[in-house]
Formats: sequence, C-alpha cells, structure tokens
Amino acid sequence: MDLINELEALGVNTQEALRRFSGNSALYVKMLGKLTAAANDLEVMPCIEKEDYETAVTNAHTLKGVTGNLSLTPLYNAYTDITNLLREQKYGDAKSVLEKILPVQSDILECIEKSKS
Amino acid sequence: MSKDDKNVILIVDDIEINRVILAETFRENYDILEAENGEEALKIIDSDERVVAVLLDLLMPVMSGIDVLREMNKSGKINNIPVFIVTAANDDPMLMDAYNLGATDIISKPIMPDFIKCRINNVIELYRHRYDLESLLEEKVDKLNLINQSMIETLANIIEFRDGESGEHVKRISSLSKKLLIKLCKMYPEYYLPKAEIDKISSASILHDVGKIAIPDSILNKPGRLTKEEFEIMKSHSVKGCEILSHIPNLLDEDTYKYSYDICRHHHERWDGKGYPDGLAGDEISIWAQAVSIVDVYDALISPRVYKAPFPHDVAVKMIYNGECGTFNPKILEAFNEAIGKESES
Repeated sequence: MDLINELEALGVNTQEALRRFSGNSALYVKMLGKLTAAANDLEVMPCIEKEDYETAVTNAHTLKGVTGNLSLTPLYNAYTDITNLLREQKYGDAKSVLEKILPVQSDILECIEKSKS
Repeated sequence: MSKDDKNVILIVDDIEINRVILAETFRENYDILEAENGEEALKIIDSDERVVAVLLDLLMPVMSGIDVLREMNKSGKINNIPVFIVTAANDDPMLMDAYNLGATDIISKPIMPDFIKCRINNVIELYRHRYDLESLLEEKVDKLNLINQSMIETLANIIEFRDGESGEHVKRISSLSKKLLIKLCKMYPEYYLPKAEIDKISSASILHDVGKIAIPDSILNKPGRLTKEEFEIMKSHSVKGCEILSHIPNLLDEDTYKYSYDICRHHHERWDGKGYPDGLAGDEISIWAQAVSIVDVYDALISPRVYKAPFPHDVAVKMIYNGECGTFNPKILEAFNEAIGKESES
C-alpha cells in the first residue's frame, strides 16, 4: 500500500507494526486514521505554554503509548524523551524536543489524511 | 459454561488503539470483552464467570488500574483471575504497588503480540491447573473425613457390641444429643453453641462408653444386680475410657477430642453432685456431658438389656421427667421433653 511505503520513508517501522496487528494491514491503516484525533485531543505544546505540566505529562505519556503501538518510531522516541524530561521538570528541554518532532508528526498525519480521500 | 464456550479475556484501557491491538492478539483463541475504565472493568469481572484473565492499563480516568486491583482484593477475585498490567508507565513505586496488590505480571507497552500470547496463555493454563488441583484436594479431604468418621463409629460399635448393644445405639446417642442440644440452645440462649460445635459434640458422643472394653464380661453382662465391688469396677469405665482416648488422640481433631474426653469422663455425673467419677454438680458439668448423660439414660430405658425388657417411649420419658432415673438440670429436662419426649415413637 502506498501509505505504508510512504510512512516507511518517514521512519515508521511498518514491519513491526504489521506484526503487531497480526498482518492485518487494513486494521493498521484504520487505527492510523484515529491518530489525527488523538494528536489533536492530546496536544502537549499548549499545555507547556500554559504551564499546565500535569496535563502535559499525561498527554505525552498517552501519545507515547499510542505512537509506540503504531510503531511510529520517531514520534515514539520523541514522546518518551518528552515525558521523562517533563517528569524531571526540565521544561525547556522538553519543549525543544517537542518543537523538533512536531514537523515530523505533521508530515505523518498529512500522509495519513491524504490516504483517506 | 458449555465446553464450546470460549474463555474470555477482559481488556481494560481508555485508549481504543491499545485495546484493538490486544484484542487482535487474542481474538483467535478467546472471546474478548473491553472496558474503558476501572469501573466498567469491575462490572464485567463481577458479573461474567467466563473471564479467565484481565489485561489492565494503570492510568485511566474514572477509576485507575490500581483501584481495580484493590477492589479485586476486597472481593477475593484476585485469587482466581490473573491480572496483567499492560502499561507504558515506568513509575517503579506504582508498579510495585500493582505487584503487592496481586498483579501477576507487568507487560510493557508497546507490546510484542507473539511474546505476550505465550506469557498470558502459560499463566491462564497454570491458574486452571491450580483450580483443578484445589477441587481435587477438597474432594479427597471430604473422603478422608468420611473414612475417619467411619473408623470412629466402627470402634464404638465393636466396644458396645460386648454388652449386647446394636450399632444403632451409638448412632442414636449421636443424633439424640444433637437434637437435644439444638433445642436447648433455642430455649435457653445462655447455653448457646454454634452449629459446627454441636456437630463436633454429636461426633464426640459416639465414644462415650469406649471404656467398657476394660470391664470384664461377668460384670458387663451380669443379669442380676451388681454388688458394691462390681459397681465400683463398672464405674471405672469413665476414667478408663479417657485413658484409652489419650492413647489415640490422632483419631479425632483437637476440638472433637476434647469433647470426647470430657463426655467420656463426665457422662455419669449428676446434677446433685452424687454422680461419678468426680462428683461434679450443677453447671460444673459441661452442657455436652449433661446432654449425653440424659440421652444415654433414655436410650438404655427403651432398649432391651440382659437385666430388663425395653420400656415404651412414653414410659421412659415419664420416668426421666419424674426423677426416677437420676437428677438432671431442670432446663435440660424441659429441652429433653420438647425435643425428644414429645416426638412420637419412631
């Protein structure tokens, strides 16, 4: 599938993901479709900017889980770091990691949204 | 649950994607139920008997995984259903809490489906095996208790056989004592005994005359009146019985043994203190010895003996009530009258 190849190019470990979904690529794609909503509901940057660090940590932790399960490796690694940095109260460092990953996240989401049409 | 019903795995996570992945992993061999939070999860656990495992996220709204574990501890369900924490959290104290609350294992997200299939299947198998073993053990213990009870009855029957008693005498003493004590507890709450204790006493009463094995035939089966000396020897059966019991303490559990010993020694004491061997009076005599004492007298009256024919039920009851066969606790007499006296002859 084009989407799968495109995601592979963006650093997503699609082989691992398909194993996790027992080879059911249709289901994997369906689950990817839910990522946009999750990413919008669980935005971390606004929380950091509002200094609502508790929500920031919770959202980052959840996104870590979701991106991990979907094998969106660069996002998973980033949110893992962000969660740990926020917990260590290194808010500045967390913000930098987030700033670096948001464009990648954007690309991936765009890819997914495009394949829906 | 029919043989064709699949077992159920309950997946608890507030994020749909996480539930989906776990469901996909186990869908082939199990029916899947899902819950979004702890509260929903508990409703399912408490109502569906088919749940053989729970995959539980920790951080959820409404009710967390830790709280689910707490509730499962309260209800005891934690002992029968393995709970696997599936979490991306690496908060060591919280994970330790989960273990302390009985979680079987902690599985990190993101999961590797093939691995967790094996881990979880293995544990489900172990729990089932343990449950089967526990059932088998219960069965064996019941059987063992039955055999033990038979041995006690056999021993009593063999000993009672010498003085012409049938095996029914021992059974009658046991059931009559039980009937009497149940009635006594109802009529006079100061003598209250729980059902389990009454059952033990009923069992213990079977060995009340075990000491008769030490009494010579010539005295035990003498058709005429006993001489003073002969009577003294006869009386010794209470104390001799205790001696015998002290050599076979393992035949009975600790409580039944204590009752047995006491009944054996004191079932010939009298309310007015003129009994034997210790001359106890009134409520110095344990209520169970008093109960066995009166039913023993009753059963002797209605049974044939070498020295007399059996008395009819009504006559026997009257004789006891009128004090012709020894003095008894007035309350025991009333209870005896209600429980046994008023029953028609069977």
